[in-house]
Amino acid sequence: MTLEPLAFWALSALLVGSALAVVLTKNLFHSVLYLALALTGTAGIFLALEAEFLAAVQLLLYAGGVVTIVVFAIVVTERLVGERITQTSRQIVSGVVVAGGVLIGVLTFIARAPLPATRPPLVADVTQAIGQLLFSRFVLPFELLAVLFLAALLGATYFARPDE
Amino acid sequence: MTDAVDAFVAGFIVLSAVVGVVTYVTLLERKFAARMQSRIGPYRVGPHGLLQPIADALKLLMKEDIVPRLADRVVYNLAPIVFLIPGMLIFATIPFAPGLGVADLNIGILFFLAVSAMEIVGLFMAGWGSNNKYALLSAMRAVNQIISYDLPFIFTALVPVLLAGSLRLSDIATAQAGLWFVFYPVIGQLAFAAFIITTLAAENRVPFDILEAESELVAGFRVEYSGMKFALIQLGEYAHMVGTSFLGALLFLGAWAGPGPAWLGPVWFLLKAMGVFLLVTWVRWSFVRIRVDQILAISWKLLLPLSLLLLMATALVVVLRSGPGV
Repeated sequence: MTLEPLAFWALSALLVGSALAVVLTKNLFHSVLYLALALTGTAGIFLALEAEFLAAVQLLLYAGGVVTIVVFAIVVTERLVGERITQTSRQIVSGVVVAGGVLIGVLTFIARAPLPATRPPLVADVTQAIGQLLFSRFVLPFELLAVLFLAALLGATYFARPDE
Repeated sequence: MTDAVDAFVAGFIVLSAVVGVVTYVTLLERKFAARMQSRIGPYRVGPHGLLQPIADALKLLMKEDIVPRLADRVVYNLAPIVFLIPGMLIFATIPFAPGLGVADLNIGILFFLAVSAMEIVGLFMAGWGSNNKYALLSAMRAVNQIISYDLPFIFTALVPVLLAGSLRLSDIATAQAGLWFVFYPVIGQLAFAAFIITTLAAENRVPFDILEAESELVAGFRVEYSGMKFALIQLGEYAHMVGTSFLGALLFLGAWAGPGPAWLGPVWFLLKAMGVFLLVTWVRWSFVRIRVDQILAISWKLLLPLSLLLLMATALVVVLRSGPGV
């Protein structure tokens, strides 16, 4: 248990640092790599909180899937088409204001809520609980999500169709 | 704190064993390929060429480290490490015998799939950082291929999960005590065949090796690498291959089950994993490379629907038997 706060703070520092780097780096490709680092750091925090299922899904879908697709888009537009894209953050002041506002809001919320000093231990198998909840209590949102994905898939196919 | 020390020691032992096995797997592949083509293969260094991998490693250690002038220096230098880490991490959840492994997570197989999918990050870092058009094209093709083959790979790997009713790798292994999943009527054989095909694609082996098609792309994403960085990339690639072979042996061939006393378990496991590895190598040295569009068509039009159907059929069988997991 002594290692847990250490892991949490190290991962948090990594997460915040890489998240800042995502928006502040000029080089778009580096920005994506920092995004991958930030997403992996989030998975690490999940892992430290014993949410192993969430950590694995985070890696599989975000760090493995989403980042790959973003890279694909960048490579196709920048290196193969030959157009150089640099990231510009012109709205940096208003961005800082909004982010600061959200931070203050979250902090006041946390300060008001009484938080237990130690995390209560997990009793059941989280993965099993997630699976059972998905197919009992949350089956309607789950199915709606499937319909949404199907619509997205059909839309993508429509746009990708060859010209007649 | 002793837990942490134990975990550290276990990790160190597994890592050393993995590096040793991976180094010698290269020799195994070269010997096997040579025999297939009526050659002898490495024979000069040591008896029957047994010291060849060590000689190769020494040679690579002493080579000059060349960095292209226009390369993206940081990305270029980090890429081999980022590429190697997932290849090593996948061994963390594999139980080599009952209770013998680094971490037997309750989502073991999911961890394996997630971490092995991370390998692509190192790959496109190498392809982009090299600032070489061949390396970039290779990384592009790799991204294409990974997006296409990850889904069927995951679906076929989930078939044994359904049959065993658990995501924990040691549970999947013990569920096969009576019957190895590869011998499960119809479903087992189809799933194993699909697993081998998607493994070939995931490891970028012939006939799916368009990303290092020598005739078009020289050596693919690693073309600018030399010396120790090249060795790290090779190590990562072979570690990934050996890890997937272990996964195949665990999912379909009953892991450590075999005749003889219990302590022979890890040996059986290793032999089975090498069997899967040699099966993949056999395909590699027997087939020709297929085109990019054919590779994508095979995945999206054939493998993905079939593996999905197989998964649904497996679920139906499990429900009808109302076996474990219900």
